[in-house]
Amino acid sequence: MSYQKLFETKVSGEAAKAWQAQGKKAVGYVCCHVPEEIFYAADVLPIRLRATDCVDSSDAETWMTSFSCSFARSILQYLIDGTYKLDGLVQTDGCMMPARIMDNWEHISKKEGKDQFTHFIGAPRITNDISTGFYKSELQELVDAISKFSGVEVTDERLKAAIAKTNEMRSLMDQVYALRTAEKPVVSGAEVLSIALAECDHHIDDYIQMLKDFLADAKNRKPIEARSRLMIIGSALDNPEYIKVIEEKGGIVVADDLCFGYRAFGPQLEVDDSDVLGSIAKYYLKRNVCPRSLDNRPAMHKEIIDMAKKYNVQGVIYQKMQNCECWGGEAYYLEPDLKAIGVPMLQLEREEHMANAGQLAVRAEAFIEMLEK
Amino acid sequence: MAEIEKVEYWRWKESNWKNPDIPDWRGSLITAGIDIGSTSTQAVIMADGIPYAYSNMRTGSNSPDSAINAINWAMKDTGLTLEDITYTIGTGYGRVNVPFSNKTVTEITCHSRGANFIYGPSIRTILDMGGQDCKAIHCDENGAVTSFMMNDKCAAGTGRGMEVIANLLAVRVEDIGKMSFEIDEEPPPVSSTCVIFAKSEATKLMRAGWTKEKVLAAYCHAMALRVVRLLERNGMELDFAITGGIAKNIGVVKRIERLMGVTALEPKWDTQIAGAAGAALIAKDLVERKRAKEAVAAK
Repeated sequence: MSYQKLFETKVSGEAAKAWQAQGKKAVGYVCCHVPEEIFYAADVLPIRLRATDCVDSSDAETWMTSFSCSFARSILQYLIDGTYKLDGLVQTDGCMMPARIMDNWEHISKKEGKDQFTHFIGAPRITNDISTGFYKSELQELVDAISKFSGVEVTDERLKAAIAKTNEMRSLMDQVYALRTAEKPVVSGAEVLSIALAECDHHIDDYIQMLKDFLADAKNRKPIEARSRLMIIGSALDNPEYIKVIEEKGGIVVADDLCFGYRAFGPQLEVDDSDVLGSIAKYYLKRNVCPRSLDNRPAMHKEIIDMAKKYNVQGVIYQKMQNCECWGGEAYYLEPDLKAIGVPMLQLEREEHMANAGQLAVRAEAFIEMLEK
Repeated sequence: MAEIEKVEYWRWKESNWKNPDIPDWRGSLITAGIDIGSTSTQAVIMADGIPYAYSNMRTGSNSPDSAINAINWAMKDTGLTLEDITYTIGTGYGRVNVPFSNKTVTEITCHSRGANFIYGPSIRTILDMGGQDCKAIHCDENGAVTSFMMNDKCAAGTGRGMEVIANLLAVRVEDIGKMSFEIDEEPPPVSSTCVIFAKSEATKLMRAGWTKEKVLAAYCHAMALRVVRLLERNGMELDFAITGGIAKNIGVVKRIERLMGVTALEPKWDTQIAGAAGAALIAKDLVERKRAKEAVAAK
């Protein structure tokens, strides 16, 4: 498989179709609080749902008001219009609006006579022993349900084998991100987001191979000249085109703190053999992925600051989806912290549909001009 | 049957100007800035960084034509031709459509530099109220942007919104500000979310018996409230000034001042030329920097 598929950003149903053709199940999930390891251990193909390139969510608007999160609404659109043809949906209450995808999809699929596996996981918003225990019990319920659904029992050994693969993927992704620390990186921000998004709808074995091939070829890529080094943070961003508009104005995005970017991978998952599922619960709940968690926000802000320093970032672009619950007010706290290390922040509001490319371009260009002075 | 005279109430006065204190531009470094906005276009010609001539006119449907018309009108009776202009910078939403420009710079950077020129180096917060957008900009003593924020996707609180109301109420756009104070007490604002909603609300108020002055007061109030939110989000640091066409409307300016508890500086120049003036000054800096570099290289 050519690694060029890493740069095909359109939602692809190919891997799911091929998997289903073998008589196996492909199940979608929303939010990175759903551990993929459990799916692989049940021999189920996990497809992380996204809504890249969705330009019309009018079917979904029948179910979710136009004043809802357009990312969530557009995913529901893709489920309704058949862009995703999957065997089920697993959802967490990662944030409230995407949680409504599950409610609506359960109803719509039943109404349309579609046989769908659906499962909801409660993901606590605080991290202590009690909440981790609760989250582990929620994951145990997923293990039981998905084992029954696929007919493959999820054992500790199978979970550990899946963790070995996701850890290999994490370490390869670290190498991709390491390319961005160079003074003239060989990979643009839009390309890195494409690479990260490819994980959403490829089998992990294929994905690992593509990452290896890409990294082997990376030395042949041309270094990119840019007017300023930027970092992008904020709401779920699944559209590389958004970053491309910014980069066309002369900046290069060298770091991110996105749940579809670096946060979807993160550090290695360390396994305690005596409690494999507990290790997964602890890892997923304690990651500083998103400001949804009430007690990890100072740690998450610190990580953003550290990342800005590590990647030698000159400016941070904070993009917030309209009606985003999680990223609604973070700018208020983050801006002074970034200012203290001499990094200005540009605040932008956006919607899933790329209807305001011109407005984005002028703001990005002005920000780059400001950083250049 | 006599033809009814059609008055275009929205039509603000287009103008051009030539500096009487500069009898001859020859021997000076001539730079130009062309600001093609959504509603108006300005061309400013500077001689050694001093305004020599400018024009201010409506943007037509064809941006390259608007740029050519604006520069030609500014150059009228000056003896200048395009060949005499050493460097031209295009700015504004149509900046890429200036056929004779050497470079483009965003209107945010240009307005900041232009406001520094119009209001002096003490300026720190600029509110640019343009034809179809609004920007709150912070700058340093050199007019370099330190932070900015723009409104999104809506023409409420902008020049175009004011033109719509002028036509609706049959009041000349330049009279709106003054008339909006001819009231007994300040009415509550009309809807500030959308020009279309504000228009239908204004119609409703007229039917309910409100005077034009009262409706205008409610509209100016709403417009001020909308931009004040933008200013509050970006923060207020004195000195403060307003650029763009709405800066000429005291009905909005005074209400912004009242809501923010500040006084805006008085402009020394036409507030609509800020973007183009900034562009011409940035052009001058670029030429001087390039010449200095060449001089060092020649040694």
